[in-house]
Amino acid sequence: MKFRRYIPVLLDNLIWILLLGTVVLFSLLTDRFLTQTNITNIFIHAAVLGIAAIGLSFTLLTGNFDLSIESTIGFTALIGAWLVAPAGGIAHGSGWNVPPIVAALVMLLAGLGIGWINGALITRAKMNNFIVTLAMLIILRGIMLGFTQGETIAQLPAGFKALGHDKVGAFPLLVITLLAAFLIAHIVTTYRRLGRDLYAVGGNSAAALASGINPDKRIRQVYLISGALAALAGLMMAGRLGVVVPSLGEGMIFEVFAAGVIGGISLQGGRGTMIGALGGVLLLSTINSGLNLMRVSSFWIMTVRGMVILAAMFIDAQKVRYRVPTPTTAKIKTAAPAPATD
Amino acid sequence: MDTTTETYVVEMHDIVKTFPGVRALDHVDFRLRPGEIHSLVGKNGAGKSTLMNIVTGIYQPDEGQIWIGGERIETMTTAIAKGAGIAYVHQHSQLVPALSVAENLFCGNQPTNGAGFVNWRRMNREAGERLERVGLEIDPKSKVEGLSVAEKQMIEIANAMFAAARVIILDEATAPLPKNEVDMLFDFVRRQRDQGVAFIYISHYLEEVFEVCDTVTVLRDGQLVGDYQVSSLDMPELIRLISGAKLERFKRERVELDGKPVLEIKGLSRPGAYYDVNLEFKAGEIVGLTGLEGCGKAMLARGLYGLEPLGEGEVWLEGQPYQAKMPDEALDKGVAYLPRDRHGLGIVGIRSVLENISLSILEKLTNGLGLLRTRTERQHVRHYVDTLGIITPGLRQPVEFLSGGNQQKVVFAKLAGTEPKVLLLDEPTQGVDVQAKIEIMKIVDEMSRQGVAVAFISEDIREMADVCDRIVVMYDGAVTAEFHMGDPDATVEKILHAVEGG
Repeated sequence: MKFRRYIPVLLDNLIWILLLGTVVLFSLLTDRFLTQTNITNIFIHAAVLGIAAIGLSFTLLTGNFDLSIESTIGFTALIGAWLVAPAGGIAHGSGWNVPPIVAALVMLLAGLGIGWINGALITRAKMNNFIVTLAMLIILRGIMLGFTQGETIAQLPAGFKALGHDKVGAFPLLVITLLAAFLIAHIVTTYRRLGRDLYAVGGNSAAALASGINPDKRIRQVYLISGALAALAGLMMAGRLGVVVPSLGEGMIFEVFAAGVIGGISLQGGRGTMIGALGGVLLLSTINSGLNLMRVSSFWIMTVRGMVILAAMFIDAQKVRYRVPTPTTAKIKTAAPAPATD
Repeated sequence: MDTTTETYVVEMHDIVKTFPGVRALDHVDFRLRPGEIHSLVGKNGAGKSTLMNIVTGIYQPDEGQIWIGGERIETMTTAIAKGAGIAYVHQHSQLVPALSVAENLFCGNQPTNGAGFVNWRRMNREAGERLERVGLEIDPKSKVEGLSVAEKQMIEIANAMFAAARVIILDEATAPLPKNEVDMLFDFVRRQRDQGVAFIYISHYLEEVFEVCDTVTVLRDGQLVGDYQVSSLDMPELIRLISGAKLERFKRERVELDGKPVLEIKGLSRPGAYYDVNLEFKAGEIVGLTGLEGCGKAMLARGLYGLEPLGEGEVWLEGQPYQAKMPDEALDKGVAYLPRDRHGLGIVGIRSVLENISLSILEKLTNGLGLLRTRTERQHVRHYVDTLGIITPGLRQPVEFLSGGNQQKVVFAKLAGTEPKVLLLDEPTQGVDVQAKIEIMKIVDEMSRQGVAVAFISEDIREMADVCDRIVVMYDGAVTAEFHMGDPDATVEKILHAVEGG
């Protein structure tokens, strides 16, 4: 029984224990794991996943989902690529030669626009966030397929690919962006009013309202953040791959969810940290890289991913179970949790 | 203690239960006779919940013996408790709101016809018969969500009785109830007692112990103080037993008020809520606002705070026209509100004491870069934790783990930090123990002395008489009477008469 007291502490720091364990395991299994190239690769894989996970974590903190992230990544990447790519041939672009920086701004606006629509439907039309963003996920993917007729957009100019491709010294821009984004997200959630408000909205939206917070406004803001970050991830992904296929980002949302939840972001809202989410992102990327090095057949990788998601949900469920539930419903189930307080 | 050979429904002897760091129950005895309403009282943390968790088999005691109906139980489990007819009625309804009364009563064992479909006619008829047997006049076909809170609780009690319950535990059953429904519930409980059901009644409202209970067991810090016939006790004696020391009763000293009102309400009306309300609140004044549930007193506070529409009429705050569309606007203008529903609107339970207390003043704690000045924040929170006497292991403690009284003080600290001009308190002492009640009244008194105009909304006239300068009575949406405390005609009886519409 005594052990149960340490379970919540363990669960809260579980991500770093898991990450360390995974690194040790793969280093023992293959000597190609702890090399500079492979570590760089892990971080590169983590970059797009991480940016998306930050966006999702913002919405989860308020107790909302954003399933549309993966389609927003693909959709904005497609818009950007189409604007900059040449027309005809195998390029399938607009041929307008739009400067990459302008294309990137258009992508950002598109991401914000999608976030704005999500937020407005959820808070103003009072629609369910899960269904709204699921519909958005499907609609955007549909537009991508319809617009390209299934063709790939290629021959992207170097300027457009810079973020996904270039390095500053030994450090890929992707990795610098990842770490900078998490640093900013960490500061915003812990040292700015916005972050505190989000935890309050996710923890108890009605009490947040009565404390002078406008929960609906905060929810609209997290969808704007999520949309903008998805556009950034889209630019990074397009640059890294060098082409944009209409299925870009498909299926990614589950990995993004798993990263956030394994990292300690609660699906119930109001709990979790950005640093934890970073841990979740690194863990998934590490597992991914390890499995590749071990030459696990790509036909089996999906199974592993599914199991990782299950494990993430299991951990989330245990957090609720081993935490003393709210006093109103749990009087009979639990001891007075803070002994000697009165 | 009595040593007769009378059979108890529940008898517990020498119960010890230890949790890491605290002895929750220290050699406690508890005896329950059939057909009695037995109150279990004590401060938060006295061991009431732990004892009930042992009776219902959720916890195993470390030491001690348990007999149910005269039979020794070696290992108590939830299944044994249930089989022995021990039922627990929660403060918050466990019924399914969208289903009918009959569906809830037959949940899981609906009568079916030959083809396996629910036999609705039989189910509704049998539900009606059952309700009639316990004297409840409720249509079995009506939806649970349309019932009053008291009706829901009576249905839960009835439901437990249909499952052959012999012992029913009522935990803070009246906390969510308006006064008139409390009477309805008590009538019902007495009638069931007369049928031989034993009740264990847990409540912070000590008046209720005298009103409805036959016996009372007092716990203090995990130890048994004793069990008593209620008729042999009076209120001061019971309070002394619970707290261990004679509690001073808080009585506000009169203050001199200067003439200017902070908040003026002139001819304010909102259809369905209140009509032609005219009120003034002076700086440093505590104005009690009372009346039956639904008389408009709480809706007026929520309207002023921007949680509900305010309606038509004039409201002036320090000479400026006042209105708030949302609580943030009210707080900006200097109007703060303490909600009645502490868990729903007051606290963010999963977040820390620190974050809860600073939640309404984050803007003020932000520096030029938009970052929180965390040191200033800690100092601010520490100051309020100290001055309000909030007992917590640390500022990082989630508020849900504090006792009710300390949670309420956290809400007070949050509001006080906004430095309000007007403080609207909706049932500020609800669900906290006697000691915390007095501390909260002192906090309210202290805030008023710093020049805050306080509206103290409550249905507890005696408590209001101790803390208010003036008591305003509302009836059916209108202000019907006003009493200045200290005047010879401002007696509790006269105020109660006015509350009832006399």
